[in-house]
Amino acid sequence: MAAVVRGVLRGIKEKGLANFLREARDEGYLNCLLDGNLLQTKIHNIGATLVGVDKFGNKYYEKLHDTQYGRHRWVEYAEKGRYNASQVPPEWHGWLHHITDNTGDQLLAQKTARYLVEHKQNYSGEGEELIYHSKGHALNPGQRDWTRYQPWEPKKEQA
Amino acid sequence: MAFLARALRQSNSRLSSRCPAVAASCRWISPTAAAGSPEAGAAVAPADPEMPPPREPVGGARVELPPNPEDALEVFVDGHTVRIPKGFTVLQACEVAGVDIPRFCYHSRLSIAGNCRMCLVEVEKSPKPVASCAMPALPGMKIKTNTPVAKKAREGVMEFLLMNHPLDCPICDQGGECDLQDQSMAFGADRGRFTEMKRSVVDKNLGPLVKTVMTRCIQCTRCVRFATEVAGVQDLGMLGRGSGEEIGTYVEKLMTSELSGNVIDICPVGALTSKPFAFKARNWELKGTETIDVTDAVGSNIRVDSRGPEVMRIVPRINEDINEEWISDKTRFCYDGLKRQRLNDPMIRGPDGRFKAVTWRDALTVVAEVLHQVKPEEITGVAGKLSDAESMMALKDFVNRMGSDKVLCEGNGPNPPADLRSNYLMNTGIAGLEKADVFLLVGTQPRVEAAMVNARIQKTVRATQAKVGYIGPPADFNYDHEHLGTGPQTLVEIAEGQHPFCSALQSAKNPVIIAGAGLFEREDQDALFSRIETIAKKFNVTRPDWNGLNVLLLHAAQAAALDLGLVANPAESIKSAKFLYLMGADDISLDKLPEDAFVVYQGHHGDKAVYRANVILPSSAFSEKEGTYENTEGCTQWTIPAVPTVGDARDDWKIIRALSEVAGAQLPYNSLSAVRDRISTVAPNLLHVDERELPTISSEVKPPAKQQMSSAPFKTVVENFYMTDAITRASKIMAQCSATLLKK
Amino acid sequence: MLPPAARLAARRLLGICSSSASEAAVSRLAPFPIAAASARGPVSSARPFSTALNYHIDSPENKPDMKWEFSEANMKKVKDILSHYPSNYKQSGIIPLLDLAQQQHGGWVPVAAMDAIAKIVEVAPIRVYEVATFYTMFNRTKVGKYHLLVCGTTPCMIRGSREIEDTLLEHLGVKRNEVTSDGLFSVGEMECMGCCVNAPMIAVADYSKGSEGYTYNYYEDLTPKRVIEIVEMLRRGETPPRGTQHPERKNSGPAGGNTTLHGEPKPPPCRDLDAC
Repeated sequence: MAAVVRGVLRGIKEKGLANFLREARDEGYLNCLLDGNLLQTKIHNIGATLVGVDKFGNKYYEKLHDTQYGRHRWVEYAEKGRYNASQVPPEWHGWLHHITDNTGDQLLAQKTARYLVEHKQNYSGEGEELIYHSKGHALNPGQRDWTRYQPWEPKKEQA
Repeated sequence: MAFLARALRQSNSRLSSRCPAVAASCRWISPTAAAGSPEAGAAVAPADPEMPPPREPVGGARVELPPNPEDALEVFVDGHTVRIPKGFTVLQACEVAGVDIPRFCYHSRLSIAGNCRMCLVEVEKSPKPVASCAMPALPGMKIKTNTPVAKKAREGVMEFLLMNHPLDCPICDQGGECDLQDQSMAFGADRGRFTEMKRSVVDKNLGPLVKTVMTRCIQCTRCVRFATEVAGVQDLGMLGRGSGEEIGTYVEKLMTSELSGNVIDICPVGALTSKPFAFKARNWELKGTETIDVTDAVGSNIRVDSRGPEVMRIVPRINEDINEEWISDKTRFCYDGLKRQRLNDPMIRGPDGRFKAVTWRDALTVVAEVLHQVKPEEITGVAGKLSDAESMMALKDFVNRMGSDKVLCEGNGPNPPADLRSNYLMNTGIAGLEKADVFLLVGTQPRVEAAMVNARIQKTVRATQAKVGYIGPPADFNYDHEHLGTGPQTLVEIAEGQHPFCSALQSAKNPVIIAGAGLFEREDQDALFSRIETIAKKFNVTRPDWNGLNVLLLHAAQAAALDLGLVANPAESIKSAKFLYLMGADDISLDKLPEDAFVVYQGHHGDKAVYRANVILPSSAFSEKEGTYENTEGCTQWTIPAVPTVGDARDDWKIIRALSEVAGAQLPYNSLSAVRDRISTVAPNLLHVDERELPTISSEVKPPAKQQMSSAPFKTVVENFYMTDAITRASKIMAQCSATLLKK
Repeated sequence: MLPPAARLAARRLLGICSSSASEAAVSRLAPFPIAAASARGPVSSARPFSTALNYHIDSPENKPDMKWEFSEANMKKVKDILSHYPSNYKQSGIIPLLDLAQQQHGGWVPVAAMDAIAKIVEVAPIRVYEVATFYTMFNRTKVGKYHLLVCGTTPCMIRGSREIEDTLLEHLGVKRNEVTSDGLFSVGEMECMGCCVNAPMIAVADYSKGSEGYTYNYYEDLTPKRVIEIVEMLRRGETPPRGTQHPERKNSGPAGGNTTLHGEPKPPPCRDLDAC
């Protein structure tokens, strides 16, 4: 705890109070007051190695030796207010879930992403317009025409 | 394993004995599971080794042994004794014994090639496996079909076939109904030993109907034999030798046959597939509906394969009496016409001359109002060439109830010969044509009017060198024929015995005269037909045991219309009509129609006649309704709905029934069976489905014709084979065919 | 070459095999992939099939709508050929007629000639095309006046027919089945002509004098030097001596005269037929 306070004081001294507060808000320290999960992550982060940051800004940490095995890799989401597991892009998913030891950056360097679609997080419950609807779905605005015949058009011939 | 084999075998035999049609459609590859293991073999072998019980023939087929026992012989197939007629091949003997031999090149309706070697079986005392399709069965032959020798031989053949066959089943349209795929499940290896490059072959352009992927070809030559023997166009051939061998036309040439679509069916692999159907659907997604074709008067048996509300393709069904297993290209590829130019809403032409969609209630009210404003004798009903018997019955009843007798069917001419049924039917029957030895075609070109009848004649000519004489305008034939003349004058010469063709007719055992229904349109048709009957009498064409005097009809509705008595004179009826009810009639001439006449068009396509219509009532097409049709030989058949009707369309007879109620002259039937009850009082033969009702009264009782015969030559009746009715005229594929294939 | 994945797999497997101490593992793993990898080798670019196309491509000198008929003299031969066959089996004459047409037309049969033959024997043209494409001796594209056919079957190949062909192609400056610019020569390949004892050999089909002076001669025991001499002699219009080109050989006898059969051969042990 003392280390935390010392760190805070050093930060204020280096950046000035206003800058420090803005940074603290951006980094989600203010959310920590209400969000215990985030607070725990922040505390967890102390002394951990930052393994990488993905294109969305999610930070991936690892802490070996003194953490319980299986809990030694975690992510701090870029979005501090609304975060969920679907924000992790596929290249980092494997590393995060101990499927592979290759980090997302390594995987990206190895593979050519010729035909991969852009990763999108899951917006379920965030409003109909954000959710993916298949071509035939009633809520898809560009819905497919299921008419399988072409009707005779009187106007065309009358004109 | 043994139990499974036995269960499969029993269930198969039970299946085939109960419904042979179903069993015929699913090919039964001889179970190879039983081949190697001794206990499985023991299960198949019966308990008593002396007398194994007989087995059902493949597909429940019946085998007729010749009456003379000396013409039959006995062979042993897998230990079972089979009696077969002399001249059967080993393969046929196995089929009689209930063993289906795998094959690629053998086709029961084509000549034997014996080049695929898939049908190898072991014959006792023969040093090598024999190709069963080409080997005549000999008395006492001991044939073994599931021994390790036979199995190994077939596996070797299959490996060679697969050597150069591309592995593109996932993108192949034949996938799922491919003989090679099926048989490789039984005889194919799970890995290849062939490490060289696969052969590739340039694709050939056979026209707008048949797509070729020649690399997939296994050189069975079925298509070459089909083109030569059945279609009668010698365009395809086997070019080159060895591994460079390929099927082709050598010079750039389209396949200009009206039966070319059948090569798609007989091709055992995906080398020849349907071009319009390419990549549209996989065959296991399709629902098959066994129905009949109405684009000509033959009534070919077809299966309409649909997916959801859409007809995806049309394939033939086997009917030995009508179309064997072929259908014409028009039948097969007209289906895209069912999806285009459809009438889906009732419409009324407003005062500005534009059509407006309205509800059924409004449309029927308007029609009923107009109906009451005209005099009864000014009402005329015309049935179209695709109408079914039920709707024609309803139309006739309705027009009669309104006080008019002017109801007719297009194509039947000014004075239809409806009094005697034998005067408008093909009395010999389509299958009966095979017994004929001389044909006299009067004013008919069967190749374009009824392609399946033409295929029968071609088959007969090829098999027996039957002579064909033709009277009519110069025409294309795919068999040898003599062009005797162009008009009635030649008929007179033959009737008077002055024509050289008379000697052929005189010496013929079973002469056949086929008169075209195009003659009905002529003013002097009575005189013509009496002259034809004179010829028939002179040359013994009609005898108690042989009726060779035939009329070849043009349209699906014609025979039923004549049975039901839709026989008004079109010219007079149209001239005097103030209220014209067109039930799908597009080809009737409306030039004489009074300007102020009110025209109701009831039909499924926006074709020729809608432009004159005041009210349009949408009805269902043949693929969407249950209807009775009578074909040109008098065989009654039903269509079965395969897909739902489009938009707001209704069945024809239902529309007329509803209109009759609105008009206050309600027809006394509410269901299809009630309409059929009504039909049974007029033409009971229309209820005997899939049966040929032969005419009972001979044409002897016909009164002599008093007309004068005109000397005008006969005209070509069908100008464009591919576009004869509303459906085929709406079809893009048919338009493409007439643009590329009819180009001279 | 091999696809990269297969190459990688093969290399990996080699590594495994060499490092593995277990003999059994080697024998179990080795045969399939290594054999496959080594057996494939570079895939040869040449198509191993017949070199002629099995379909027709229109060219100015070969079109179906061109007019072609047998010459007056050859028409007599046609009648003679057809008289060998029953009148309802005229199609049996397709092969001799194609040969005649080929001689008349300078060594090759155009489509128009095949159509003309089809008309003579009263069959569909495709039946003639089938025959003409089946037999490799019928040339369906233009050949030189002297068509040189190099035997490529095993005995000749072992005795150096490939060098002979290479020499010919290089000397004439053409590729296989091409005609030299002066229209005199073309080089083709054929299968065994039964001359293996004098391998390597070439056959020269001489179309320069029409069907009357048509010859078809073998030149055997060739060397690259000798084959060029033969070509040059032909170019000058001379007729090189046919048969073996080996100075010391006579026909197919051994070089330098017979080594066996010097005296009267011993008759076969046979019973005395006269005594019976």
